Amino acid sequence: MNQVDLLAEEIGGNWPSIRQARSNSLETIGKLTESLEAFTAPDTSVVISGSLARFEMTPGSDIDWSLLLDGPSDPNHLKISQEIGAAVNQVARKGVGKEGTFGTMVSSHNLINYIGGEVDTNSNTTQRSLLLLESRCIGNAEAYNRVKRNLLKRYLSEDSGLWRASVENKLPHFLMNDLARYWRTMTVDYAYKQRTRGGVGIPLRNIKLRMSRKLIYVAGLLACYDCHLAFDDEARVEFYKDRNVPGLVARLHETLEQTPLEITANLLRRFPEHNDATKKLFDAYDQFLRLLLNDDSRNHLEQLHADATENDAIYLKAKEAAHQFRDALEEIFLDGRSILKKFTIKYGVF
Amino acid sequence: MNPIGFSTGAIALGDYSRALLLLSNISTTAIELSALRVNEIGPLIEALPALDLAKYQYISIHAPSSYLPEQEQGIAELLWAIPARFAIILHPDAIHDAALWKPFGSRVAIENMDRRKLIGRTVKELEHCFSSLPDARFCFDIGHARQVDPSMTEAYLILNRFSDRLVQVHVSEVDAQSKHALISYAAELAFADVARFVPEWVPLILESRVTPNQIQSEIFRALDIFSRPAFAA
Repeated sequence: MNQVDLLAEEIGGNWPSIRQARSNSLETIGKLTESLEAFTAPDTSVVISGSLARFEMTPGSDIDWSLLLDGPSDPNHLKISQEIGAAVNQVARKGVGKEGTFGTMVSSHNLINYIGGEVDTNSNTTQRSLLLLESRCIGNAEAYNRVKRNLLKRYLSEDSGLWRASVENKLPHFLMNDLARYWRTMTVDYAYKQRTRGGVGIPLRNIKLRMSRKLIYVAGLLACYDCHLAFDDEARVEFYKDRNVPGLVARLHETLEQTPLEITANLLRRFPEHNDATKKLFDAYDQFLRLLLNDDSRNHLEQLHADATENDAIYLKAKEAAHQFRDALEEIFLDGRSILKKFTIKYGVF
Repeated sequence: MNPIGFSTGAIALGDYSRALLLLSNISTTAIELSALRVNEIGPLIEALPALDLAKYQYISIHAPSSYLPEQEQGIAELLWAIPARFAIILHPDAIHDAALWKPFGSRVAIENMDRRKLIGRTVKELEHCFSSLPDARFCFDIGHARQVDPSMTEAYLILNRFSDRLVQVHVSEVDAQSKHALISYAAELAFADVARFVPEWVPLILESRVTPNQIQSEIFRALDIFSRPAFAA
């Protein structure tokens, strides 16, 4: 049983849309595996991201994919990526996004070595962050797992404070700061797209920003908090005193193999004092997915102009879910009495 | 400090006598007698009583790495003749019939494989290997583990999972063509990440392909990596 179902059982939740979207995703991943497996090899992985990788696929979802390269350069990689694109289009209802971030080849070198600085482009930040927060691999996963682990190794091995004995709270600041930066990048890019693409489709983008985009940041934060919370006091001192980078990479890698909803459910299950807010959070997310699972409401939101939202019933319903989601997050991360509040105020805000 | 020594194959391929001669003046207490090719195992076992192995506290024999199914029983029968204290290093992909090796119990040690192989590379794959040889011990090849996962996460997971079976560690650079070579600086940095998880009593067997004048420096290099405190890694 996955973590979301376990949480539902424990706190009396009923989230049929989350289940439906998960089932849709598994079905599509099965189809993609059949058609794409032959394109993968030990040095190349087909990586999907977006709603499909989060197991939140709805009928109107596109399929964001990339061909991750982690080995010798081969001129045939272009042809392979074109073939993959054609095969994905047979399964997807919509093409990949317009920014050119997906549907192409991605080199592990840039993802791992270009964190921060001039060379860390918007695309690179996006590909790197999504690889960690919402990705899944189709077929041979050797390159995919190698790159994710090497990426985590960079964040963790270069985090000097994390391994200092005098630092009590064991949180990976380098990684947390990069995830926070990515979350803010998404919010700024929302404004950029609003300016460059006009008002149509912006309401749906806005709701996604408030829900699914925010969720991946929440899951990333919780995965970072887990670096501290996974241990009791004695075990934590023992683990960190030996600078056990590979051990922490293994742990974080395993955590990030879950979907954002699973990570969130998994961590919040440990805080029964937040059960009411947790239920509210997942209820809101289920409501959001229900709107997207319905072709009529999704199409309506896709065609809606930003200027026409004020009295739009479907948009207002989506906005209500987004507000409920926001309020639940505030209760858990900012108002509660658990350590989550302490960490969020101390490290997540300033 | 870990006991340390060389694989005879790394020094002189199948010519174990020459390798032993070259190692005779080097301070080592462990050795792996290599018979990677099928035609090398018979002569090696026949020659064992005559070999001067007195200075070695730890001795292992590397069984052939590839053979036909019909050759397997003969190889296993030959290996019953070696002293019980010698560990027998086996490649999991070489095994056709695990039933032939099961009676050896803890005398055989399964080695983790490089990227070319389809089994024995990761914890999960090794668990499968040990399920058919439940009493077998483990030869950890740190170069293979790095080639599979340069972040050394899989190496850590392997050591964590199979530490109770660990009998020896193979040490060398393993290049992109899966050839053993001198330990590079990049490999040194990677090995240092997990070296502390290898207990001090576990012998290090160097597989780096060396010329005679590189033997000593490669030993020093490996010992330096495996004797660093955690925070110097």
